[in-house]
Amino acid sequence: MMEDSSPLVPALLTVIGVGTGVWMLRQSWGARDTRGRGWVLGGWLLIAASFIRPIWALGTARGAFIALALFSVAALAIVASGYSIKVARAARAARESLAPEPSDRATTKWRETLRWLLAGPIGMIAAMGVGIAYAALVPGEQQTRLVVGGMIVPVAWGACMAWTLADNRILRATAVLVGVAIASFTAAIVKGFA
Amino acid sequence: MSRIPAGFVRAVLRGHSSLGLAFAALIYLVCLSGSIAVFAHEFRRWESAAAPQVADVTPDAVQTAFEGAIAWGGPGVEHVYITLPSADFPRLLLYVDAAEDRQYVADAKGQIVEGSAFAWTEFITRLHINLHLPQTWGGFLVGLIGVALLSSLISGILAHPRIFRDAFHLRLGGSKRLQEADLHNRLGVWALPFHIIISLTGAFLGLTTIIVGVLGMAMFNGDVNKVYALFIPAPPVDDPRPAPVLDLRPMFAKLPQDGGRIEYVFTEHPTETGGAALFNVKHPDRLAGTDSYAFRRDATIYNEKQAATNNLGEDILASAGTLHFGWFGGGIVKIVYFALGLGLTYLAASGVNIWLARRRDKGHPAPGWERAWAATVWGQPAGIAAAALAALVAGTIVPTIATWLIVSLAFLLAAIRLSAEKLSAVGSVTTGALILLAAATHLALRGGIAAADGMAWIVNAALVAGGLFLILWARRRSVVAAKPAPVAVAA
Repeated sequence: MMEDSSPLVPALLTVIGVGTGVWMLRQSWGARDTRGRGWVLGGWLLIAASFIRPIWALGTARGAFIALALFSVAALAIVASGYSIKVARAARAARESLAPEPSDRATTKWRETLRWLLAGPIGMIAAMGVGIAYAALVPGEQQTRLVVGGMIVPVAWGACMAWTLADNRILRATAVLVGVAIASFTAAIVKGFA
Repeated sequence: MSRIPAGFVRAVLRGHSSLGLAFAALIYLVCLSGSIAVFAHEFRRWESAAAPQVADVTPDAVQTAFEGAIAWGGPGVEHVYITLPSADFPRLLLYVDAAEDRQYVADAKGQIVEGSAFAWTEFITRLHINLHLPQTWGGFLVGLIGVALLSSLISGILAHPRIFRDAFHLRLGGSKRLQEADLHNRLGVWALPFHIIISLTGAFLGLTTIIVGVLGMAMFNGDVNKVYALFIPAPPVDDPRPAPVLDLRPMFAKLPQDGGRIEYVFTEHPTETGGAALFNVKHPDRLAGTDSYAFRRDATIYNEKQAATNNLGEDILASAGTLHFGWFGGGIVKIVYFALGLGLTYLAASGVNIWLARRRDKGHPAPGWERAWAATVWGQPAGIAAAALAALVAGTIVPTIATWLIVSLAFLLAAIRLSAEKLSAVGSVTTGALILLAAATHLALRGGIAAADGMAWIVNAALVAGGLFLILWARRRSVVAAKPAPVAVAA
């Protein structure tokens, strides 16, 4: 009876490798000229290399996902180590350097209602249509088509939400989503699942 | 200069802001409970600290425990789910689905013993999975929250034209808005792989029921069982005539000795002639490495599936839950998931903080919303800590949920009178004190110093450290707030 291999040593090596790689990227970020290119290339190569050991020692998928989780921790540690403290009187200048403000579009009650209907139920139906059409139309093994189709649903629905809540042309979004839903469900039902 | 048009960025930012505000509280709650639920196995060990630790069991012991659980479970036993001991959870656990569902633990000889109240673990996992709503609706709502989170990640990246220019900026202490924005954006970008994995698998798992329902309607004439049949073994032929309890021992004997570890045994109608048992055998170093063997009553195999023959879809499906909860890399990955999960929780909170700070900067402060948000942000950890306390004392799920609800509502009511700063301070101290109290209560009621399982000590130590941190942090914040603003730049 065997247990999973311990991730301790591969994890430590991954954290060191990714941490060094992200530190090199930060050097490039600080250089702000062509000297930074070497740091960028070296940094990303080191980060990629840091995935090899866990994939080899801990199993392909298991090792890759362990390394991916550790990547974020190591990278955030490097970012956190470079923090700077500002004083309150710098606040005004800091505000001016912030990202753009959200748009302040004029709207009406029915447009907002329609917008949320598009982001919610209509987007969900369109996304399900796309996922089910994938399962019906794309070649491959049945289980793979169904699971990949199922994974497409939240991604497509999330994209619909992001788009419809941002797009000022609400009728265009309505037409596209309704069209996608009708076309995808029709194609899936006509083709059937085999 | 960014090449992305400013109008596009502003429009996407508007959508990001609207969605974030609409779902912030729910995303916050699901992420917070999910971060804690990563340690579900450790909490179950903590709750059953006095129960016997079982490293390995013989088929005879499993059979004894199985028969004992059915005898204790009363009439109408439909299923018994047996969790065999592992390094992660050294218990022999039996869940009996009967007229009244019950859980039991057994010792290495299979004798049923005391110590099977898992109200806290059930509370925190169910809070994350279905928000204690009816399973179908709660699961769908959590799936929808996962979609909203995924959508926020998409719009957040699109609305971030300075993603490379600001990649390493972390400016603290000046403008609250700049500080919150830097923390929000750095966490959002550098932990993006984790955020995508969590939101995608969470949304997929939550929406499975409705996706399969629609798929069944559209493609299988409404028969969803045809969809499930592609992934799970067919149920045994029903034969409700009474029979002796299933004998699992000849089934154990027929399992291949190929280095796998038996994780679970699912038995169906164990006291009927049509009884059957499904064995799950886990292979090491694979995310989706579980073989399954389904036996009839007479120990003949009617379905078997080796993970090595899985196609891509079966591998993805089998990995989704493990990947979502971080149960694939031992303690290290669990700690990483907990830390990144708290980061995601903070991401939800800081999004609203940025919106509130922006309103204040523009001269349109929203003190009511500031108070309500502070009550939400601190009411939840306090409510969850109080629920842990209630679970230890009562040992059942209903008072545990009631306690969480009461504390959550108390914080929202307190927001009528208290300022956001005061609510944050009170929330931090209350949460810390409740966590310390939970550790003390555990020592008093669940094994104390003589606890058989060392994990209980680790969990209690972590609780004490966490509780003290929250109390001291609140105290430090109050001291800093009382000091005059700094006048010089610190490096």
